[in-house]
Amino acid sequence: MLTFYEEIMVLLLHDENGTFLPVSEHTLNRALTGAVLMDLAFANRIDTDPEQLVIIDTTPTGDSLLDRTLARIAGEKGTADSRAWIETLSAEEASASHDATIRATALEKLVERGVLKRQEEKFLWVFRSRRYPTIDGKVEQEAKKRISDVLFSDEIPDPRDVALICLVDSCNILRTIYSKREIDRVEPRIEQLRKMDLIGREMAGAIADIERAIAIAAAHTF
Amino acid sequence: MDIAERTEGAAVVVSLNGRLDGVTAPNLEATIAGIVERGDVRVALDCAEMGYVSSAGLRVLLVSARKCQQGGGKLTVAALQPDCRSVMEMSGFLAIIECHDTSEAAIAALA
Repeated sequence: MLTFYEEIMVLLLHDENGTFLPVSEHTLNRALTGAVLMDLAFANRIDTDPEQLVIIDTTPTGDSLLDRTLARIAGEKGTADSRAWIETLSAEEASASHDATIRATALEKLVERGVLKRQEEKFLWVFRSRRYPTIDGKVEQEAKKRISDVLFSDEIPDPRDVALICLVDSCNILRTIYSKREIDRVEPRIEQLRKMDLIGREMAGAIADIERAIAIAAAHTF
Repeated sequence: MDIAERTEGAAVVVSLNGRLDGVTAPNLEATIAGIVERGDVRVALDCAEMGYVSSAGLRVLLVSARKCQQGGGKLTVAALQPDCRSVMEMSGFLAIIECHDTSEAAIAALA
């Protein structure tokens, strides 16, 4: 089973050419950080409520990125809520060296798992660009089917699918999967699911706040 | 958390006493899974003595309600304390899982 941080990277890729869907750095950093916290929560290493995020088990998960984050949280004195951790960890993601970022780690793991292949290309014989086409698209199709099964039904959803939909929604990926008419039809369901994962809810709030702040700053600039 | 189970007609009432969090949620998940596996898919959770619910607790409530639904039954919740009700309301769970003021009403809703 893929981690959330791997799954969201798969869904952010255009399968036909291996490039990424356009998502702002601010949004992506918060979404990937949210995904890592979701992975730790589903691995029963952390727990949250509206006021705090707590460690419940420091046993390593075996995933180096998750374990690094778990140790980072465990090493902090005092308590903070999910939103504060999303902001702290996404700021660290923004300043991390490329190879240490969540996105680079996710892509490496997906290549190791045989989900993606790495394709180096030279642009104007000098600048290198790296693409990650999917190998057979199966993982992406399965994730999209899980999303559709939840969105287009009234059944009680699985918590993993709820968390995935929170991530996909926060990165605005749904508009690339479904038509506007389909999204309009399932908007009440999306609205319902958005609130259900407490980390997802805080991640979406953090993304909305930063986008609002950027829009206000831009309005004052021009 | 103490978890007690009793049968009331066609329903199984599970009474929760304590905190439903990341430490105790796996116990509740295993209890409900066992109940559903033996074919009892009408379950009322009596939460009168449950003083706290975390995100791990909410996930187990969702998994349990889903299991009952997939088995053709239903899971209802009764007598939530104000703090727990507030968390469930904020996270939209009350729109998905039926919540009643008393265990009698939660059991009646399973008929």
